[in-house]
Amino acid sequence: MADISKDILQKIKKDEVRPYPKQYFLLKRSVIWTVFGLSILLGSVASAIALFQLRYAEWDLYKHLSHSLAEFVLLVIPFFWLIFLLGFTGFAYYYFRRTEQGYRYAAVWIILLSIVLSIIGGGLLYSTGLPDRLERVFQENLPFYRELQERKQKVWMSPAQGLLAGTITKVVSEQKVEIKDLYGNNWVIDIADTIWRGRLKPAEGLKIKILGKMKGQRSFVANEIRPWKGRRGQGRNRHLRLKNKR
Amino acid sequence: MNDYENMPDEQLVQLSLKDQDCFYYLMKRYEIKILRYIKRLTTVSHEEAEDIIQEVFIKVYRNLNGFNRKLKFSSWIYRIAHNEIVNQYRKTKLRLSMIPLSIDDEANLIDSIHDTIESNGAYENLENAEKVREALAKLPDKYREILVLRYLEDKSYDEISDILRKPTGTVATQINRAKASFKKIVRRHQLDKEIVK
Repeated sequence: MADISKDILQKIKKDEVRPYPKQYFLLKRSVIWTVFGLSILLGSVASAIALFQLRYAEWDLYKHLSHSLAEFVLLVIPFFWLIFLLGFTGFAYYYFRRTEQGYRYAAVWIILLSIVLSIIGGGLLYSTGLPDRLERVFQENLPFYRELQERKQKVWMSPAQGLLAGTITKVVSEQKVEIKDLYGNNWVIDIADTIWRGRLKPAEGLKIKILGKMKGQRSFVANEIRPWKGRRGQGRNRHLRLKNKR
Repeated sequence: MNDYENMPDEQLVQLSLKDQDCFYYLMKRYEIKILRYIKRLTTVSHEEAEDIIQEVFIKVYRNLNGFNRKLKFSSWIYRIAHNEIVNQYRKTKLRLSMIPLSIDDEANLIDSIHDTIESNGAYENLENAEKVREALAKLPDKYREILVLRYLEDKSYDEISDILRKPTGTVATQINRAKASFKKIVRRHQLDKEIVK
């Protein structure tokens, strides 16, 4: 009977087969762990922005809208970033499974661990103010992202429900301003008894969100006016304001 | 003088990295086991099985520096053999099902399964090799492989986990499912009744 092992050894010698160097495996392992780490980091960024959007979502609008709670939740949940978080979690899972011992853990634990790490990382990034800056960068540079966020803001075009948004076109008096809403219609806004959030002052060109009551055709009484970005002056410009204070 | 035959696998791995000839003893140690494993999982001829084992041993040699000492060497080499069988399957579409187990293998497998599942009479008369072969042939590939590893290769759950790169819990579940599936096939095709007759 032929000695297979002997034949194979001869082939190894003849073909000058050599073991891959240790560095090759070290590099391979490092790449896998690096990609896993990057997936967690990007997942952290996604969860940081999602946390930011959730924190500054205008949950109080629910009482002004006729939508069901489920519909309202769908409106304010930052799906865009949650989908990214899930995507990066998928990457993290894929690469963790490819680590030396990764296959020993059940999929559900790896996925949970990745999500928890991304949320912890997201919390840390959130505290640095990064999501605020990133949100601004994305909105300024990615038209589809800006459009997506603006579509969400269309909820403010419900004057019958007491919500209106637009840009001030004329400050008529201390009691009255004119605005052009998001659809291009002109409105006269009664601001006699209005709370201005975010230290806003009436000025032409200022984009605002108005909570109040529709009085008649193209006429609206404002109870509260918020800046277009953020809620009650929080959020988007919070870090800039803090910087100015210092 | 080195006593290669009684040396632990891990030590032989280290020596093989320095001296190619030492790898011969490592191959010799696993030659029959891996060849048998390939034949248990495929329908290839002896010559084709030899080609596969050649690929397996060359891959083992190339990857010696990547051997994780937290694993048993035997698990690692079985893993490489499993991967190579899967590669060959993809390349040549060689059929993994309808494994032509030897009569001894079949008897061993049935004995083992029979010992580990609650006896309800369904297997009392499963000595009929043809019927047993029929039942085994109807099992999905993944179940057949896990039964082969557990009951013919005599691997522990942890070793199977390392070979197939699956969590131990999944291995346990698949073994139970494989046994249940085997049981169902026997019942569905009334193999037990025919055998009793």
